[in-house]
Amino acid sequence: MSAAQGMSAAPGGSLAAGPLLSVHGLTKHFPIRSGLLGRGSVVVRAVDGISFDVTEGETLGIVGESGCGKSTTARLLVDLITPDSGEIRLANRRLGADMTVRDLRRDVQMVFQDSYASLNPRLTMEDAIAFGPMINGMAERQATNLAHDLLSRVGLEPRRFAGRYPHELSGGQRQRVNIARALAFSPKVVILDEAVSALDKSVEAQVLNLLSDLKSELGLTYIFISHDLNVVRYMSDRVMVMYLGEVAEIGPVDSLYSNPAHPYTRALLAAMPSMDPDRRTEEAPLSGDPPNPINPPSGCRFHTRCAHAAPVCSSAIPNLSRLRAERHLAGCHMLVPGSGHPEAAAEARP
Amino acid sequence: MSTAMSTMMSTAMSEPLVDMRDVTVRFGGARPVHAVNGIDLRLNAGETLSILGESGSGKSVTLKTLLRILPEQRTAIGGTIRIAGVDVTALSGRALADHRGGVVSMIFQDPMLALDPVYTIGEQIAETVVRHEGVSRAEGMARALEMLTRVRIPSPERRLKSYPHEMSGGMRQRAMIALALVCRPKLLLADEPTTALDATVQIQILLLLRELQREFGMGMIFVTHDIGVAVEISDRVAVMYAGQFVETGAVRDIIRDPKHPYTRGLLAANLHGAHKGARLDAIPGAPPALDALPDGCPFAPRCPIAEAQCSEGLPPARVFGPQRQVRCLKA
Repeated sequence: MSAAQGMSAAPGGSLAAGPLLSVHGLTKHFPIRSGLLGRGSVVVRAVDGISFDVTEGETLGIVGESGCGKSTTARLLVDLITPDSGEIRLANRRLGADMTVRDLRRDVQMVFQDSYASLNPRLTMEDAIAFGPMINGMAERQATNLAHDLLSRVGLEPRRFAGRYPHELSGGQRQRVNIARALAFSPKVVILDEAVSALDKSVEAQVLNLLSDLKSELGLTYIFISHDLNVVRYMSDRVMVMYLGEVAEIGPVDSLYSNPAHPYTRALLAAMPSMDPDRRTEEAPLSGDPPNPINPPSGCRFHTRCAHAAPVCSSAIPNLSRLRAERHLAGCHMLVPGSGHPEAAAEARP
Repeated sequence: MSTAMSTMMSTAMSEPLVDMRDVTVRFGGARPVHAVNGIDLRLNAGETLSILGESGSGKSVTLKTLLRILPEQRTAIGGTIRIAGVDVTALSGRALADHRGGVVSMIFQDPMLALDPVYTIGEQIAETVVRHEGVSRAEGMARALEMLTRVRIPSPERRLKSYPHEMSGGMRQRAMIALALVCRPKLLLADEPTTALDATVQIQILLLLRELQREFGMGMIFVTHDIGVAVEISDRVAVMYAGQFVETGAVRDIIRDPKHPYTRGLLAANLHGAHKGARLDAIPGAPPALDALPDGCPFAPRCPIAEAQCSEGLPPARVFGPQRQVRCLKA
């Protein structure tokens, strides 16, 4: 059943026309106080004008180093942080126009990395899950029944777990409760922000299986954020690579992993441990830490760490350009004929 | 002094750098915890061993036992531990202080906790040299500078005067490595030093450790939960579960032919080359609580191929080749 799931891209129902979730020009800059009286004008460009679509029923993976804006993007999508500019559309309704934040949050739910911090230590598991529906007007009895259903759905027997507090559960069990709580509104989209990263490997595999089952049973759409490229490859239909608040590359998982077009994507993939004792990594693909998003480099933000950097890279910002595979885009001057990069084709095709 | 040194050296030549035999660690109190339950380990100078396991398996406790930094009052250590010919369990006072940081050194996952926030990086490294080698502070600072250069921290002169919070994560990790290695220890213990880092920085630190280890000829025990990291850094792997080494062997053999069902489960969970959409062979359940000594195979309750005999007694370590041992009746 779940084996065919990766192929089932055809969304059923009335939404087939457009993407389920559509983001355009999303931007968030955080001002930091600096200088005398805190009147400095320094900003962290956490997310800087990103656009992407998510089709119903697919899983979009988001990868990148710390500080690249993965988590800020997730928080912007559920309006935990309000964007400076940009547009979020869900099922062709626009946030702020014909959709309120309340509507959005019913349909887009989120699971965080820290399973303990995400739960109120003074609520039992059934109360934690029933809380949201009750706030939205569900009767207590009905909400408790729903909580029990959801607990058994995520593999926790309600009779044993409904009355427990967060500290009485293991990390894997708590994350199951967080998933159950996210499902309480029957959301269309679930954002998993490093949701399995803190778990032990054997438990992580169990939760990944659960997420795959839930997705096919409930027809969910996932946005799966992780720093683990193996897990992202396993879970995602498409992958978006972010670097310093921008999209470096986005494309179907197989195309992106086997033909990475952006030098940054290639470096990220090369930095994965080789898993072959006879072919260990001999040279680090990138040196140094990711630069600071406070003063990102000019032009292509990756040019300070890129082995292929040319003068054009520090002066002009590359646009995302289409590659041969469908829906595969990357932002690099080398891919644009006539861009002025020595490794690009000389002239733009007529 | 020098004769004592040379006798020590000659003993160290004939026996391995680290020799642990049937080591147990138990924490007392209202709820006793059997953290380490009879491990045997031998490590030669210049060799790297990874201890692979999940949280609560006893990996970190094993390292802390070797450095003798577990709380004395509540810890009962059994078995014998010899490092460079010295009985570590018998050390106390000045000799113990010389052991820590002089003979054996440790690096941690979170350098922010390992480094002192109110002293500069230079002061912290110099203090270690002054304490262990009795040199002047100026000499200590010179050694600190040399070491910061060695771990390739950019503009090391300036970084000597930096406080830990002024550095990035990767740079702090390099500073901690400099601090740990400045007195040229014979054994480096590494407790998940790259787990909190981005993959792009992790590989840099792994390559640096590999290079320093070769150059200094020290032994290294590297604790990790990531098989990929173990493959990059180590010659041998010990897979730890419930305080025991369930499988040990050369990294090549463990990767290509895992014999213990737990090792096989861990390899599958790494998702390297996992087929998208295919169901993962997840190990069910969770590791056992360690409040009692296991009387059977501790993995039996989660094991797909367990039989009745597995719960009847502790499986003995069965030998498969020169460095290969597996604690499984069905291997």
